Amino acid sequence: MSVILECNALSKRFGSTLALDNFSLRLERGKIVGLLGPNGSGKTTLIKIINGLLVPNAGGITIAGMAPGVETKRIVSYLPEKTYLPDWMKVSDTIRFFKDFYEDFDEKRAYDMLHRLNLDPSKRLKSLSKGTKEKVQLILVMSRRADLYCLDEPIGGVDPAARDYILNTIITNYDENATIIISTHLIADIENILDEAVFIKAGRLVLHAPVDEIREKEGKSIDTLFREVFRC
Amino acid sequence: MLGKLIKHEFNATARIFLPLYLIMLLLSLINRVMFSIDNLSKPLKTIRNFSIAMYVLSILAAIVVTFVIMILRFYRNLLSDEGYLMFTLPVKPSQHIISKLIVSMIWNIGTLAVVALSLLAMLGTRDNLESLKEILDGLLYGLRLGFGDKYGLVIAEYAILLLVGTVMQILMIYASIAIGHLFTEHRVIGSFAAYIGINTIVQMISTIIMLIWTNIELSMLNYSPYYSELNEWESSISILEAVPSKVFPFSIIFTIILSVVYYIVTNYIFKKKLNLN
Repeated sequence: MSVILECNALSKRFGSTLALDNFSLRLERGKIVGLLGPNGSGKTTLIKIINGLLVPNAGGITIAGMAPGVETKRIVSYLPEKTYLPDWMKVSDTIRFFKDFYEDFDEKRAYDMLHRLNLDPSKRLKSLSKGTKEKVQLILVMSRRADLYCLDEPIGGVDPAARDYILNTIITNYDENATIIISTHLIADIENILDEAVFIKAGRLVLHAPVDEIREKEGKSIDTLFREVFRC
Repeated sequence: MLGKLIKHEFNATARIFLPLYLIMLLLSLINRVMFSIDNLSKPLKTIRNFSIAMYVLSILAAIVVTFVIMILRFYRNLLSDEGYLMFTLPVKPSQHIISKLIVSMIWNIGTLAVVALSLLAMLGTRDNLESLKEILDGLLYGLRLGFGDKYGLVIAEYAILLLVGTVMQILMIYASIAIGHLFTEHRVIGSFAAYIGINTIVQMISTIIMLIWTNIELSMLNYSPYYSELNEWESSISILEAVPSKVFPFSIIFTIILSVVYYIVTNYIFKKKLNLN
């Protein structure tokens, strides 16, 4: 099995706080991985480092064997927790934008999903609600045929019905060579689709194991285990 | 990829500039028609005055917008939430800086050209064009008197200085915004502080260079054994001669060096110190 992501003793410091502390992780291709941890545990920091938006203070990271840079950005599809599309653009403009910059972008897939969620491509983003904007972003991100998807809190702001559709989209759209990292603290919602779980606490790796193995060994759901590990 | 970035930057800004340019040109044409009517009735006079005022306002607006958009595009598109989109595109940070710079330069030149064009459209009667030609001829005559056959060089160097000066100003603003980004809070205030700081340092350096230089030149004159009124006359000529051979070339090089420094600082921060909120 080939490795898609390798983190080696990553550390990232913001002022006096350590957001990532000697964090090592190795992910293989073809997995749906839940990056699970409470708020401020370092999930977003890790995802930003994978996407080259932050440079670690120490340690190394490779994506498909390459350090973060132009080449890795070609193969990593990233959904930040921000609404990052310019307001003045129409939905169709954003599709053209993605098509222009990402060779792996599948325009047809994007329009299919828009259609399915009853989103009008000629609408300006300015006129859309926050939840709808998040749907558009998720559609754009999942319409790429990337090697690694990083979804940071992808279901936080959308309604449960769309949430189901989106999760479904994630499972059906990803091909067997791709890996998806889903960062969230809403574990119960995504537990069923996960292959592996990564628990992160105060910037440190607590646990990385296949979900089935955890259920077998611990005899409880990931959600329950999460509540135990991160009990306040 | 640089081409695509420029294309998209152009799209994002043209929707603001093109209507503005169009309004300016339309107003200048309306004014032209108004000017050509000899005996305006009173209400028409009021309309004419109004449209002149609007025209002047549109010029002011274009200048302000050119400046504000330059700053806003850089800050908002790269360092606010939109930065998450831009910095995860498969392009180098340097290409972001260069694409923004090129498009800003295009709009700077574009605004200047449209203002000139609209003035020409409004006032370009035969008489006015002839007086304009006279003024230009006078200017050229003065330049030739001062610089002899080097006047062409002076004009060319001045044009280059204007161009690199504009590039330098833009890059200085970019560097200030990037330095402001290093702060965890109050990044806008940080950018202003950085701008003032850079300005002060550059002023100090150029003052020191000027002082050293004039000292050298003066001491050379003072050591001249035949110091006389004739020498004074010659020295004023040598100052004029220094413009194309020393002052302008040095200013151009100094401006280019500053531009490169600002570019390197901005690029370094984007590559190593990026920290989007």
